[in-house]
This record gives sequence, structure tokens and C-alpha cells, in this order.
Amino acid sequence: MTSTQPMTVRRLPEPGDRASRRSFLREIKGFVDSSHRPRLILDLSAIVQMSPESIDLLLECVGHAEHGDGEVSVAGASPQTSVILEITQAASVLNMFPSVLEAAIGRQAHALEFWKPGYTDDRAA
Amino acid sequence: MEMGALIVAAGGDAGSALHGSGLWTPAWPVLGKTVLQRWIERVQGLGVGLVSVVDRNPQEPNRIHTMVEWAKEGVEQVLLIALGSYAEIDLPDLIRFHSAGQRKVTQVFDQQGPLGISLLDRGCMLANQEPASQDSDLPSSRYDFLGYAVRLSSTGKYRQLVEDALEGRCGIHLTGSQTQPRVWIDDTAQVDASATIEAPCYIGPGTRIKAGAALRGCSSVERNCEIDLGTTLDHTSIQPNTYVAPGLYFRESVVDGTRLEHLARGVTVDLGTVGLSARIGTQARHAHRSPKLAHGPGLSRRDAIKEEEHCP
Repeated sequence: MTSTQPMTVRRLPEPGDRASRRSFLREIKGFVDSSHRPRLILDLSAIVQMSPESIDLLLECVGHAEHGDGEVSVAGASPQTSVILEITQAASVLNMFPSVLEAAIGRQAHALEFWKPGYTDDRAA
Repeated sequence: MEMGALIVAAGGDAGSALHGSGLWTPAWPVLGKTVLQRWIERVQGLGVGLVSVVDRNPQEPNRIHTMVEWAKEGVEQVLLIALGSYAEIDLPDLIRFHSAGQRKVTQVFDQQGPLGISLLDRGCMLANQEPASQDSDLPSSRYDFLGYAVRLSSTGKYRQLVEDALEGRCGIHLTGSQTQPRVWIDDTAQVDASATIEAPCYIGPGTRIKAGAALRGCSSVERNCEIDLGTTLDHTSIQPNTYVAPGLYFRESVVDGTRLEHLARGVTVDLGTVGLSARIGTQARHAHRSPKLAHGPGLSRRDAIKEEEHCP
């Protein structure tokens, strides 16, 4: 039997918009608190280059997800954003995928790793 | 026999990046000195007192005028160097080779083709003073060079030259004290005792490496830079007068002020807008801010600012 993790896909609010940021974090916290091992996918495809506020926000999401034994993936990061995430070492605590779809598939592939076939390779021999 | 040396530098502003080459500019020093400075030193080492540097601008035939004037004043030979490569040519051997031949021009080639270095006789220079004959196809001899050469056409080639110099694969002699084998630190640089410096690497004059910072993988930090608390440089070069914020990790990159070129990803990024680096002298250091994770373990932003306030 395979287990499924609850998953949500979100976009980061615009930097500087404090109200949206608070609301965003409330929603993330609510999602994490109500889920078992939640998976949060953050769609960065609309961001040309990360601001320091956005990096802080990403890391706050990681902190919330860790409380719920969950994980955070980012999807669609531009090459420039990927470089910023690498330099700031945020990439070391995030799973990075080229697109939201691949992030979602990556999740399924990850879940399937728990399932092992009941036969070994020598069965085909 | 009197000899002159004419070095043709990149056109326009020598400090600006060349088109299609990423951030690379000939103004970048290679472990303390630019390639132009190294060429001038080598030419002067031959005893050549007449050295001129002109722009590579096809609209202004500076080089022709200079050479013709020199020829009229009695200069017998001109060493013409188009500044596009670093090549450790044995110049006395080139002169002997040219003198032994019957041609008025000797061009230097390596396995990839011409290196943009020629030796010209006086007669050739005077023959070229008429505009109509500037492109005349004078018979030339070919000097095949088998030694170390790098064509400096991109940031990647620049890093190759830096790594070759640090690894001792070319003849670039580094200045500064060797505090340990293959670690060159200028006497005026300040390196915190807690910084990790792995050979080979280079730290230039007036540069500060702060607590917990790490340099490895043939990294170089040129003059008057500051590498802030806990930042790691791995296969990375920092250009002069650059401040780098605390707690960052750079690999396979070159940082010049607020601009970064990531060689592994083939991307150029503006770090200034995110406050991760700055040009020293143009912006207050403490105005820069790095993300929470950028602060090393146990290091708060307040600590970082406190440290910055002690900067000279």
C-alpha cells in the first residue's frame, strides 16, 4: 500500500506586501498544522530574481513544514533565481524542480520508492 | 638595433565587458596584475624602452601611424601584440628566429592558430604608410610556439588562467608571502585566524578575509576586497574592490562588484539588488543585508552589523 502526502501548490506574494505575506504564512501554517507530512510546492516561475524578503519567506515555509515533518519544493525557478538560492544556501534545504508538474511527479516517484516489487531481478532470468 | 613594442588593447573603455564574453574584461587582474601589465613587464624585460599601448579601434589607425613614426625615427623592429591572449613566448628566441629569416614579418602561431603577435621590420612599416597598401599581403614567416598560451575571450578562459597560475602550470609568478605552500597572501591583507584557507589560493593587497570565511579550489581574491563572515569561495575569483556579504557560498563563479557570472550554470546575475555583494567605495557596507540563512550558525544579524561597523 502506498501512502499519499497532502500537497499544495502556491505562489509567493510580492515582496514588500506585508499583508499578503502575513496571509500567506497563515495559510501555510494552517495547511501544515492540518496535515500529516505535508508537501508544499512553491511556484517561482513568475519571479525573475529573488528579493531578500522572498528568500526569508521561503525559509519560513521550510521552518513551518519541518514542524509538520513535511518538505518544501520549489518549481520553475529562473536560472538567476537558482543561482541566488545556491549562493544563499537556501537550495540546500529545498527540493528544486524545473516545473510544478515535475515537482508533483517527483512527489509521486518519491512515494513509490516505499513500494518494492515482490520479486527480484533474477525472476526474469 | 632599436626595437619598439606596440600593444593593441581592447577598443573603447578598457573597463567594460566585451560583447559576448559574459562579464570578462581585460581590466580584470590575474592574481595581482592585468595581462596588459604582464606583457609590458615582459617586453621591458627585453630592454625595449619604446612601448606604446593603443586601442583596438578600426576607425582610428593608431597602430599604423605609431609604427610609421617609429620607423621614420629609426626604429628597426616592432613587436606588435594584439591583446587577446596570454602566451609565454620566448621573446629573445622569437627575435633570433626573425632575424635569421628573410621575411619582413614573423607571425606567432600555436596549435590553435595565430596568437596575434608579430614582429615587423622597419621596411615593412614604411611600406605600410600609404593607406592603399595597409592591407597588402606581405610575405611572412611563421614562428610555431608550443608553450603555454590561453586565449582570453571569456570569463571561463580567465578562470582557466587563474587556476593554471595557482597550480603552477604556467610561468606567472605571484607576489605576496607564501604563508603555506601555494597560498599567496599579500603582506597588507588581513586574514582572520579562524578563516580556512586551502591551497592553492591567492589573497591580494588590502583585502580582508573575515572570521569563518573559507577559500578553496584555486580561489582568488584581488586587491581591496572584503569577504564577510562565514562566506565560502570554491573555484571562485573576486575582482578588486568587491564586498561579499556574510554566510554565502560561491562556486565556479567570478564576482565583480555587484555582478556575478556563474560558470557552471552559464548565468550572469546582479547580486546588488539582493544585497549580497557591493562595490567597495560606492556604497555603505552596512546598508547591505543578506537572508536569514546567510548568517552562519550562531551568528545573528546584529553580530554581523556590529562586525561591519568595525570596518575601516
